[in-house]
Amino acid sequence: MKIKINNKLKYLFIAAPMVFASSCKKDFLNTAPQTALPIEDAFSNPDRILSQVNGIYAGVKNGQFYGGRYLIYNDIRGEDFIVNKPNGVTGLDTWRFNVTSGTNEVVNLWGAVYAAINRANLVIEGVAANASILTPVVSKQYIAEAKFLRALSYYSLLQFYAKPYVTDNGASLGVPLRLKGEKDLTGNDLKRSTVAEVYTQILKDLNEAEPDLALTLPATRASRNTAIALKTRVYLSMGNLASVVTEANKIVSATAPFAATTGTPLKLESNLATVFGGAYVGNASATEVALTFPMADLDAPGTQNQLAYYYNVATNGAGGNEEFFLNPTGIFANAAFAAGSTDARKGLTAVSGANTYLTKFKRPSPYTDYVPVIRYAEVLLNLAEATVVSDPTRSIALLTAVRQRSNPGYVFPAADLLPANLKNTILAERRIEFLGEGLRAPDIMRLGLGFVAKSGSQGTAPAIPFNTAGYIWPISSTEIQNNKLVVQN
Amino acid sequence: MKKLLQSLFVLLFIAGAAFGQERTITGTVTGKEDGLPLPGVSVRIKGSSGGTITAADGKYSIRTTATTGTLEFSSIGFTSQSKSIGAGGVVNVALSTDAKTLTDVVVTGYTTQSKRDVTGSIASVSGEKLKNQPIQSFEQALAGKAAGVNIIQPNGVLNNPPVFRVRGFNSISLSSYPLIIVDGIPVFTGDQSSNSAAGNALGDINPADIESIDILKDAASSAIYGSRAANGVVVITTKKGKQGVTKVNYEGWVGTTKAQNLTPLLNAAEYVLIKNESRTNIGLAPAFFLQNRADGSQVETNWYDYAYRTATSQNHALNFSGANEKTSYYVSVGYGNQQGFILGNSFERKNGRVNLDHKLFKNVTIGTNFSYSNTLNRAPNTGSLPGQAFSTVGLGRLAIVLPPNVSPYNEDGSYNMNASGAIGLGANTIASNYPNSAVLVNEDKNTSESDRIIANAYASIQIVKGLAFKTTYGLDNLKIDNNSFVNRLQGDGFSYNGGATSNFVKNARWNWSNTLNYSGVFGDHSLGAFIGAEDQYTKSSGYGATRQGVIDPFIQVFQGSFSTITPAGLTQGDNAFRSYFGSINYDYKKKYYLTGSFRRDGYSGLSAGNKYGNFGGASVGWALSEENFYKGSGLSEILTRIKFHGSYGEVGNINIGNYPALYLYSPGLYGSSPALSFSQAGNPDLKWETSKKADVGVNLEFLAGRFSLDVDYYHNNIDNLVQNAPQAPSKGIPGNTITTNVGKMYNKGFEFTINSKNINNDDFTWSTTLTFSTLKNEVTELGNNNADVFGATGLETANITRVGYPIGSIYTVPTAGVDPATGERVFINRFGQKLRFSFARAAAARYQYLDGANAGQNAPAIDAALDATITGQSIPKWFGGLDNNFRYKAFDLTIGVTFSGGNKIYYGSLAGLRDQRFWNNEAGVLNRWTTPGQITDVPRLVYGDNTSNGSAFAQSQNVFSGNFLKVRNLALGYTLPQTVLSKLGVSSARIYLQSSNLLIISNYPGPDPEVSVNGNSTTTGNSGNLAPGVDRNSVPSGRTFTFGLNVGF
Repeated sequence: MKIKINNKLKYLFIAAPMVFASSCKKDFLNTAPQTALPIEDAFSNPDRILSQVNGIYAGVKNGQFYGGRYLIYNDIRGEDFIVNKPNGVTGLDTWRFNVTSGTNEVVNLWGAVYAAINRANLVIEGVAANASILTPVVSKQYIAEAKFLRALSYYSLLQFYAKPYVTDNGASLGVPLRLKGEKDLTGNDLKRSTVAEVYTQILKDLNEAEPDLALTLPATRASRNTAIALKTRVYLSMGNLASVVTEANKIVSATAPFAATTGTPLKLESNLATVFGGAYVGNASATEVALTFPMADLDAPGTQNQLAYYYNVATNGAGGNEEFFLNPTGIFANAAFAAGSTDARKGLTAVSGANTYLTKFKRPSPYTDYVPVIRYAEVLLNLAEATVVSDPTRSIALLTAVRQRSNPGYVFPAADLLPANLKNTILAERRIEFLGEGLRAPDIMRLGLGFVAKSGSQGTAPAIPFNTAGYIWPISSTEIQNNKLVVQN
Repeated sequence: MKKLLQSLFVLLFIAGAAFGQERTITGTVTGKEDGLPLPGVSVRIKGSSGGTITAADGKYSIRTTATTGTLEFSSIGFTSQSKSIGAGGVVNVALSTDAKTLTDVVVTGYTTQSKRDVTGSIASVSGEKLKNQPIQSFEQALAGKAAGVNIIQPNGVLNNPPVFRVRGFNSISLSSYPLIIVDGIPVFTGDQSSNSAAGNALGDINPADIESIDILKDAASSAIYGSRAANGVVVITTKKGKQGVTKVNYEGWVGTTKAQNLTPLLNAAEYVLIKNESRTNIGLAPAFFLQNRADGSQVETNWYDYAYRTATSQNHALNFSGANEKTSYYVSVGYGNQQGFILGNSFERKNGRVNLDHKLFKNVTIGTNFSYSNTLNRAPNTGSLPGQAFSTVGLGRLAIVLPPNVSPYNEDGSYNMNASGAIGLGANTIASNYPNSAVLVNEDKNTSESDRIIANAYASIQIVKGLAFKTTYGLDNLKIDNNSFVNRLQGDGFSYNGGATSNFVKNARWNWSNTLNYSGVFGDHSLGAFIGAEDQYTKSSGYGATRQGVIDPFIQVFQGSFSTITPAGLTQGDNAFRSYFGSINYDYKKKYYLTGSFRRDGYSGLSAGNKYGNFGGASVGWALSEENFYKGSGLSEILTRIKFHGSYGEVGNINIGNYPALYLYSPGLYGSSPALSFSQAGNPDLKWETSKKADVGVNLEFLAGRFSLDVDYYHNNIDNLVQNAPQAPSKGIPGNTITTNVGKMYNKGFEFTINSKNINNDDFTWSTTLTFSTLKNEVTELGNNNADVFGATGLETANITRVGYPIGSIYTVPTAGVDPATGERVFINRFGQKLRFSFARAAAARYQYLDGANAGQNAPAIDAALDATITGQSIPKWFGGLDNNFRYKAFDLTIGVTFSGGNKIYYGSLAGLRDQRFWNNEAGVLNRWTTPGQITDVPRLVYGDNTSNGSAFAQSQNVFSGNFLKVRNLALGYTLPQTVLSKLGVSSARIYLQSSNLLIISNYPGPDPEVSVNGNSTTTGNSGNLAPGVDRNSVPSGRTFTFGLNVGF
């Protein structure tokens, strides 16, 4: 077959682009996402490091954890709510104590808390490694915030997956203590530390954080008083009343009106409804929240995690899904909620159909109510409970401050304040005050009580006596499967 | 190739010009199927050396001296025929197309090869087999058609991609879906929709345009695709114009579809009886009551009527084709509108194609295959796509859980709803949580519309004889517009007063390959070789938003006025391949064969040192029947051809996503502040997943091809398995997994293909094709010290991947029936102890020992994670198909049967169908335990009990055999006589009646044992690899009847 020379040249022209294409694009195989940063750049400047600190808060605030479900589980395990929508996805099995190690609540909460803990650990290591970019004060403060959040996370884990400290002074199994950042394939196996060891770590983190935290910060981040406030909760859970008093005294004035005198200006808001307006952080001169997690349209809790979705009514555009209503024989039977009661906390409920619902959280979809983590009212009642015996006068003053903020003219019947009854009166006040804020189950557990039976038209939940089967959750099945050293409850 | 051979025949017979004296025989040769004249058919007298060929009008004339004898007619692509010369001088004959010889040429990648010379393992399916089927995408019709190819239709949702497996599940964490090549372009596959309207990317390709499908199964055939070949490669070749007169073809059908084998449910009275009995049994007051309307009639709702319907469909395809020496063309247009048996489910496709080849110069050929399609999928939320199984708004589930004693509409015609977003109470005192499905099917909408261009252009230059350079640029541009609307009254949109989500995704891929191809024959030696280089780049980006809170109920579209907007469906990613490859094939006297191919692939998703991987395969073949000693033996008369072949090679699977090697931090928000967080634990050591495939086989042909048997044995050894290795959740790694190379697995099995022409007369033909395949899969090593990998289906885990067992085995807590004495469900815990369970007892006493020393004492609760055991394998051990084709004169009959088995199906829906909450139940619950001593499998009913039935955790009582035999296709056709047609200017016409899924023979209690709610998904929470064989709240499959017409002009 004959071929002319010029034809051959023609072919070369056609073939040339192929060679050209293969040689000119050296970076052809080097691609990178345009929406995520490589790890090398994650700590490259002060803004990004601050952004990472916020990332830990965002992790704790995950809808599966403090963004919603952690609070919900703690309340619906208690006796004050009745299931209205018996849906396995929205806490039915938690409510009726029917969870197993594979139940979504058990698996997802475990995973979300540890994801937040790992973020804290990575920031603690990353800030230390990149301290030169920051001022010493700021780098200490960031590490302190990470430790605070790690402490809050471990405390939260203990409330579900371990027996209460009061059982045996923390001798029973707690949770695995992960204290270093994890990002590779190693280190799956880690045994459970004891409850006491975990509490020791929580207090170590909080004590180390306290001096390094900023004196004041907006309530969406932890400042010095936030760590102190959390310590009152932790010590109360351990039954260490003396330490509750010591810590609380740092931020509670000796006499009414109670307020923190240094740091973030903690103080009861005069009108409780203000606190539950949706985006409450207080102001520069007074705030009731020691810590609150913000929400925004673009940073919402996510589907079926939202407080308002679970508790609020569906009517009047409130956007709730009426998942749980107030148990008529729970704290809702208290006179504070009775017909004709002028208590402001009654104003945070509403009737829909035959039932009454909690309307504390009220922003409709995408449900951007700020999540209260620690309110000053809790610090006051923690201190009140700790001083029932040691300083009943102050205890009563603290209790009264909380009550009269919502019902100014109210005078406790003398019997309620008798030494034998004062503690119960305070405990009842906690249930009225913190309804829906995730304190009930931890209170039941630290008091060594059982969970009482509940029933409604859509389901019944059995009584679970103290430390009997189902009292605490099993360890997540995925942890059991992948961590050879962990022991099931 | 065919044309070339045709011309060769012409030359051959012109050379041997006939001469004789006695008489001249004349006649016309036509095609049997279309009645068109056939040019170029060789006509010879048996026993003589002379012959002729037919002219362009199909006419021939041949002179012979003999008074008797036999004329033989043969042509490539047609079955040869002999006819005796009678007294008359005219012998007309109609040749039928030979389905087997049509696929005589297989497309093996960048080249083609004669099937006789193939030494790898390639299954070929002719486009003819896809014709006229009421399918959305071609692969749905492949079930049972090719040995080693397993197709499982997940359920009846239109355009839901079937599970498509070539020689087993070849990966644990990565996709096991084969690589699909259309006219040389690796195309996008999988469900591209982001909402409930399934959108199989392959549904954009009109099956009517497909000429042939070649499935490359072993490493030798597929190694030329290197890192993407581990799951098999499916090479689609679209139709081209054939030399001869311009042909115009129309194919159309109309049909109707209905849901089949719906599970019988309780009616209103039975529901009231059963539910109240369960309440009484736990000391609760009755709460369910019959409701009467104002006219006294009783409310009785069959909720299937608010989910399913009898639907009609139509499909039309029209094409023009032809060719001369310089140019061939094939132009087609198609329109199809298939309505599903699910209310609101439809598939509408408009498509066009132009395939052109033109000889530009003597040595230069250019061409293009250009196709455009627009596909619109519509569906309600069926709850039947991967990840939807536990949706409370899925139609498949709503139809079986809603109370039959409650009406969907109030008497004034308004919807029956309660204040909290569920269906109204009716006369019951307990509300159902579930929404009213009538509202959802009427008010909610999901659409996914794709616009797709798949096109290539090529130039081929013959440099010297036997050596050709070819450059091909191909592209696949797929744009998808997804829109969904949820109403404010019921369902997902209730809590936010209605909402709409829209997103738009652009997927663009280009692929430029350049090859140099050589072929030559040197005496007894044939040699073929080619080398090539290829770059491919894929980019996808998507954007969209969700809007919530309709301002006015009139608003039903995203663009309307809503109170909020948040981003949704944002995607961004790209990847690139750079490859160099080559292959060589050699044979000596068509007796001994040797082939080898090699590919070096570079992939952008791997870290710098690991980007490139080498893949290759080799095969050998021996055509024993070509040996002289065999040709002389008596056996050669019967067993006409024997060819042995064997191959071995190493190929890869690189469906690892775009950036798995990188450690990533993602910016997000904490309230309104920036929040950066660890989002991906990368793995810089990540390497190619490799699959070592061995194959040996034999092709046997009896009686000159009347009967053939192909047998293959394969063994795929997958090591370096890429696994999303599970990490202890307490480590807090994002997603709790790290993509890493760990683990090993193998697939092995036998494949048999039998083709038989049982009867082949002028008036009556009967042919049979049987495929039968076996598959044994075993996982031999896993990451994290062989940690089990669990396969979840949404909220439920019923599958496990464990070393020593097949991937995705069914994993449930064993149950041992119902205790006849107490009517309580009996469980078996990990210690082998039998426990009775009653939900009526206090929590701590619910489980009690059934027997033994502790009988009657409280026992620890069943823990699904600890007490579950492997109940059986979920992937079929054997499967195949049997096709019988009959033709009697103008009538033809096709019966296509598929079968599959050896596997277990987890029928999770049955747990729901027996749940003792307010849910409706299957009619079988009427056999519940009521009296001591009664033998039944339905325990004593206790209101609120979701444990005895299997809702709380997966149980072995809901596991059933997956064996089935399906009459998948039954078609009866009639070809209109030529005499009638010619007056109408029509050259051929066939009408037919057809049925799909006419009959299922199976012991499976659910609607259809061919089911897989997780489909092809690779998402951790609903992976089709890790959790196959699960039937959970899915819609059933449909049965279709069609009437069709094929006309040629």
